[in-house]
Amino acid sequence: MLLNPAALIVLSGLSLALSLVFARWLSRMWLAGVVAGCVFGALAAAVVLSTGMSVESRGGFSLGGEADHLHLDAVSALFLALLSVVGAAGAIYSRGYWTDAQHPRSARAGRFWWSVLLLSLEYVVIAANGLHFLIAWELFTLSAYFLVTLDRQRAEVRSAGWLYLGASHVGTLCLFAYFSCLAAATGSWDLGPALNRPELAPLFWFALIGFGLKSGMFPLHIWLPSAHANAPSHVSAILSGVTIKMGIYGLVRFTGWYPVPSQAGWVVAALGVASAVLGVAFALGQHDLKRLLAYHSVENIGIILIGFGFALIGIQEGNAAWGQLALAGGLLHVWNHGLFKSLLFLGAGSVLHATRTREMSRLGGLWRSMPWTAALFGLGAAAISGLPPLNGFVSEFLVYLGLFDATISHTTASWASLPATVLLGVTGALALACFVKVCGVVFLGAPRSEAALHAHEAGPAMRGPMLLLAGCCVAIGLAPAAFWPAVARAADAWRPGLVPPAAPAPLFTLGLCHLVLALAALLIAGYLARRAHRYGFARTETWSCGYTAPDARMQYTAGSFASTITEWFDWILRPTRHKEIPEAVLPAHAHFEQHTPETVLDHVVAPAGTLVMHVSTAARRLQHGRVQSYLAYIVAGLALLAALVLIGVG
Amino acid sequence: MNVILETVLRLAGWLLIAPLLPGIINKVKAWVAGRRGPPVLQLYYDLARLWRKGVVLSTLASPGFIAGPAIAWVAVLCAAQLLPLGPAGAALSFRGDVLLLIYLLATARFCTAWAALETGSAFEGMGTAREVSYAVLAEAAMITAVLSLSVHTGSVTLVTMLAPAAGAGAVLLGAGLFVVLLAENCRVPFDDPNTHLELTMIHEVMVLDHSGPPFAAILHGASMKLLLFALLLTEAVLPVGELSPVAAAGALAGGVLAVTVGVGLVESLLARFAFRRVPLLLTMAFLLCLFALLVAWKGGEA
Repeated sequence: MLLNPAALIVLSGLSLALSLVFARWLSRMWLAGVVAGCVFGALAAAVVLSTGMSVESRGGFSLGGEADHLHLDAVSALFLALLSVVGAAGAIYSRGYWTDAQHPRSARAGRFWWSVLLLSLEYVVIAANGLHFLIAWELFTLSAYFLVTLDRQRAEVRSAGWLYLGASHVGTLCLFAYFSCLAAATGSWDLGPALNRPELAPLFWFALIGFGLKSGMFPLHIWLPSAHANAPSHVSAILSGVTIKMGIYGLVRFTGWYPVPSQAGWVVAALGVASAVLGVAFALGQHDLKRLLAYHSVENIGIILIGFGFALIGIQEGNAAWGQLALAGGLLHVWNHGLFKSLLFLGAGSVLHATRTREMSRLGGLWRSMPWTAALFGLGAAAISGLPPLNGFVSEFLVYLGLFDATISHTTASWASLPATVLLGVTGALALACFVKVCGVVFLGAPRSEAALHAHEAGPAMRGPMLLLAGCCVAIGLAPAAFWPAVARAADAWRPGLVPPAAPAPLFTLGLCHLVLALAALLIAGYLARRAHRYGFARTETWSCGYTAPDARMQYTAGSFASTITEWFDWILRPTRHKEIPEAVLPAHAHFEQHTPETVLDHVVAPAGTLVMHVSTAARRLQHGRVQSYLAYIVAGLALLAALVLIGVG
Repeated sequence: MNVILETVLRLAGWLLIAPLLPGIINKVKAWVAGRRGPPVLQLYYDLARLWRKGVVLSTLASPGFIAGPAIAWVAVLCAAQLLPLGPAGAALSFRGDVLLLIYLLATARFCTAWAALETGSAFEGMGTAREVSYAVLAEAAMITAVLSLSVHTGSVTLVTMLAPAAGAGAVLLGAGLFVVLLAENCRVPFDDPNTHLELTMIHEVMVLDHSGPPFAAILHGASMKLLLFALLLTEAVLPVGELSPVAAAGALAGGVLAVTVGVGLVESLLARFAFRRVPLLLTMAFLLCLFALLVAWKGGEA
């Protein structure tokens, strides 16, 4: 009974539902309910992932005239596990970050919508009925909207919320089309494997747009940076860590059940490469800490999509094993990105909480007042840059292995894998540059403002969840072989029986290397520090090549640090620069300012929107309230119809 | 027992031989310029001297200032253990070890860059920004080189990849890797290891505020990285893995010596490039590796 996943899911749902009741007044009970729900959810996922079983349930209740159909297999469990970990971490964090005392207007609503979000997300990953999937999907979109706009006194929060809501509904519209076409073709809203129906393949494009919008792939990511930057940080963490992964879940789930067109893999891989490289390029141009992290979500979704795209290509190439390897890498990256990006957003939240600013050029030197946050953020930064011995490298390693094998296979797939490999390498180097910049500008050096000077460390309720997430990152990094079976089961459950199980990657040896590296690094660092202590250690001002009065304003800023690379990407970043160059012998004034706008939004979506508005305004001239003209319209209409009828008769 | 002995021997070899390379380069430079130059063992003396010194820290620096160089040193040493030494093989070899090697070097870069930004000095910021920016292009060239070896041998394991010669594309690959070696190890024409207090440097400016044992770790790590790249270049071009142990040892030593002398000659005969031209040169290295890849691709089809 205890280890029955179905019972655990029910318990998890009941706990979360119970937490809804407590959300308004009893915040401790609410937290207990949410954490219990997440623990049960994680247990259910662990049971499914460790045994590879799948649970099917039908007809327990009926909603919208449809009997329920739930399906929990390794693919759903993978996402459920991530949802549980991040959901619990964010809930605990919010106890220190979004308190009733500081946010009397929104803290209660925040708790309520958090529970709704977790509940609807849990339903999304186990729903196997198209109508119920759409209902849960819409509910999760709405609850995420209310969470993003918790602080809706600020205008930029409201506009970010609108953008999110609008974009999400474009996606939902595509999903409506997708599921209704599926239902029309199969004759029922029930979802399940139907790979023998090739006529369903073209529907994939609806799914790609609908789920792609949610996942934030380039160029459908327009809503993502502003929503993630303006939401409260624990909400940003779950948005970035979990909800955008639901787009990936949808793509993986329904390409596993229904056939896809032959170009699908190539398109997904190309979108993945574009998201990865351009996501990180846009991130480099940002000076808002949370906006920067949001663009890194685009990058990491790109890495996941590269893995997934090659899995689809692998099917075209005769069910190649390298496709499974790439898929396993992509799925592990779903976990990894969920963990370290949530960690980074919670870290950014602590910085925001302590300094009240997200502007990196006003921060600096925070390690002194916030050592825990600085260390944990640094760990997350190393993990997201894909550096051994942390988890980011493990999943990128698997994706790379899949790509290399695809290249060696000397098939048409090699033409995709060659550029993808090189660009994945470039993405890694760019991400490293970006996170060196973030850590250096925010946590190291001298404080650039009063706020940064008087920052304070986050409280235990905020540190605990960060420690939990960091611990997960380290665990996957040091013992990847322990997590491989779970990921391999998910990859096998994707299209059961149709593709060969992936060859076990050499993750045990890799884990050994990571362990040796971590131990040796700790040992040598400790030894070096001790030696430095023993042989005396003097503290003086930074040398700065003998400059006598160093100043915090002389430090490299986020913009100057990234300028070399952002210049290479000027063609797409299109930064706006305001320059006043010092002139004459005694220059009085100099000024330089650079902003990187959201190119796709400003240069594609906004002009398109303006065009639609112009056309609509022109069409509105027909409606002016003069009855004579309306009569004339009717006469003209009748004449037209009469002419049609006459011609038709003739 | 044998395994432990072998590991100790390997570690000792890397630790002891690496500081020789900068000495040889300096000797070559002195010889071309008609000077006597510093002794070949100068870096050993410098390391010993630094090791006994105290440390001066910036008031702004966190513990990461000392941990950074330590972790970077360990990462380079671990990467070195993955590199096979001809028929002797590598200390540890598995499918995809080449990726771990590349990413360990990235870890070292991250840690060095972190430590450099600790001081809050504009100089260090400048050097770090340059280092991480140019590394993007160097990484592209490096991955392409690895791909070409991988396509040529049909393997992702360093031992197999580096055993045969690189085939028809060997010259292209060698030239590309040599440029990457110059860039990654901060040699002329990308960087000038001789200048100090110049606003034109990359690596030197990043370690300006380091002193004592951490600085020794940085210098030693840099020399190991140079040896690693020299060995990688030699093994990529020559069929070292297919030779008898004696011949392989000779080929490795000869290859490393040739590369080192080559670096010295480049440094004597070329001036450092203007920074605007650095990306162009790295792009050229990338293209060289790309052509090597295409040659390997056509070779594989035939």
